[in-house]
Amino acid sequence: MTMKRVSHVALTAIVGAVLATASSAGIAQKGQWLHYGGNDYSNNRFSDLTQINADNVHKLKVAWIHSLGTLESQESTPLVVGDTMYVTSSTGPRYVFALDARTGKTKWVHQPEMPNDFFATVCCGLDNRGVAYANGKVFFGRLDAKLVALDANTGRRLWTVTVENYRNGHAITSPPLVYKNLVVTGIAGGEYGIRGFVAAYDQDTGEQVWKTYTIPGPGEPGNETWRGDTWKTGAASTWGVGSYDPKLNTVYWATSNAGPWGGHERSIDSSDFYPYTNLWTASQLAFDADTGEIKWGYQYTPNDVWDYDGINEAVLHDLRIGGRTVPVLMHADRNGFFYVLNRQTGKLISADPFVTVNWATHVDLKTGRPVEAANNEKRPQLGKWARNVCPNLIGGKNWSPMSYNPNTGLVYLPAFNMCMDIANKEEEYTPGRFYLASEFDLSKAGATGEHLAMMMAWDPIKKKEVWSIKEPLMFASGAMSTAGNLLFYGNVEGTLKAVNARSGKVLWEFDVGTGILQSPITYTVGGKQYLAVVAGRVKGPPSFFGQIGQRVIDASPEGGVLVVFSL
Amino acid sequence: MKSFVGMFAGPVVAAALASLPLAAGAADGDLVNPYAGREDVVEEGGSLLNQYCSHCHGPWAVQGERPRDLRRLNLRYGDYAMSTFYTTVQEGRPPKGMPPWKGILDDEIVWKIYTFLQTVQVED
Repeated sequence: MTMKRVSHVALTAIVGAVLATASSAGIAQKGQWLHYGGNDYSNNRFSDLTQINADNVHKLKVAWIHSLGTLESQESTPLVVGDTMYVTSSTGPRYVFALDARTGKTKWVHQPEMPNDFFATVCCGLDNRGVAYANGKVFFGRLDAKLVALDANTGRRLWTVTVENYRNGHAITSPPLVYKNLVVTGIAGGEYGIRGFVAAYDQDTGEQVWKTYTIPGPGEPGNETWRGDTWKTGAASTWGVGSYDPKLNTVYWATSNAGPWGGHERSIDSSDFYPYTNLWTASQLAFDADTGEIKWGYQYTPNDVWDYDGINEAVLHDLRIGGRTVPVLMHADRNGFFYVLNRQTGKLISADPFVTVNWATHVDLKTGRPVEAANNEKRPQLGKWARNVCPNLIGGKNWSPMSYNPNTGLVYLPAFNMCMDIANKEEEYTPGRFYLASEFDLSKAGATGEHLAMMMAWDPIKKKEVWSIKEPLMFASGAMSTAGNLLFYGNVEGTLKAVNARSGKVLWEFDVGTGILQSPITYTVGGKQYLAVVAGRVKGPPSFFGQIGQRVIDASPEGGVLVVFSL
Repeated sequence: MKSFVGMFAGPVVAAALASLPLAAGAADGDLVNPYAGREDVVEEGGSLLNQYCSHCHGPWAVQGERPRDLRRLNLRYGDYAMSTFYTTVQEGRPPKGMPPWKGILDDEIVWKIYTFLQTVQVED
């Protein structure tokens, strides 16, 4: 049976809503934090607030604290809309809280009613990255692959839809993207042999408007990049967040690793695998915002066998490159390259290693393809180990988001300094079970010293590192930068840091008592600027890392706390 | 009669608790690890653990989360370590994140992994 890649349902219903909301889409709502990735759709995690700045940041004091009530990895980005903060806890989420952003006083709490056996079909920890807000409604996805709408004023549940079956490995970990009358979600499950997609629902009714598979079915362009039926279990999940360009009416989402990790069945078991690239795994995709049709795609890692999952966020900005202003998309991939693409055309502008990279010598800017290390030396094959491959599968950068600061022109990105050994193995697909066909040893520090992570300032135009702060243990948190010449981030020990965004000098530190993964946010209520951080040490992924993972777990106790600061 | 029941209630209850969520009563005596003491399968067992279990339980069973530390099987479950291991692999503990592997992993694989695990048990 041929599966339709794009289904158009109730398309005409959009048109009216477009007119109603188009004007609000472009306006920066100063002082709030309206989307997962910041105050607009660009995922830049930049705030133009300056009350807290490099001169006075050392005076920050705790304003209020809120317990998140769970102990799994806390990955939520709170939103601030008006004077209300919306924040989720881990485990599915266990709670959605609406809090007074000034005092932390609870306005309402929503506890989703969920089965508990989804624990067994979630690859990498029981997380949740937060909610989306639009038109008086709060939207969030759950680990049992449902999408929910709540009344933002009361917390009352408006609708719940089943996006997919969680029992065969589907889950939702990141907040949806909201624009016009749509709420658009990705799906997790790249370790369970799912077929990835992005799906849009009507904000009012929960009715599906479009659904686009990231892996083309038979008869669709790109299906010929798969051997046999392997496209059916080829992953290309979409567990990260989307970006949106209202002017180009385009949604950007990137896709995960191919499934299974071992590539000997779905492609050819060597670096000489073309045309079996396995589209659109480990790729950047651009979708028509109204129809979901794929406008263009660019594959970061063709025939991925390293778990170089490509879902990291696309940061949208217009950069001056070669005397021209170019609408770009910036992406720091797990495969170690920092990409700048023209987001209108999908054309590759630059791709440069921001950490030690040895699986490929470079990316050919003409073909857009990575040039792999010779003689399959760094490509794992069936029963053959590739040794000391850099980066590690945790990536040059993982999901913890980067920040682009238009004032400094720098990207601040949490990077890893790690390598690995990896081999392919035979494995049968079983629905709802890990499907990796891979064995690995990830317990290896990288090529540039004993530190396992760093917070790096990267110049996307000069294509080089400007400075970096070394972190002894892996998992530097996401970044947030401000017009107050500040960068904020934390580490797995639970140290929250304020850094001079230009010089990289650490100006202030605060121990929140448990590891930090997600980037802090900042907002203004009643004329006062606040800084908020969600903390709760990473719990799932360290298990992959043997001795190093043990050090990560020992670095701070698990936790769940939201700490808010002001001057 | 009363004292007879009392005599046996203790051990039976203890067995049931120690081996949760196992079918009550199954004891290690009912099970045989066909590879017990076979040094030649230890490395293969470790490699199989790495492939199927390491994402939660760590490569070579090394990782930091105490509740899922398979190096503590004997310490935690004592005389019921083998039956707890086998039954948990078969039935899973879905609410704690452990999927059932019955019908997916052959006994041969399960026992090779167990044989490896017996070489890395800790005392404390």
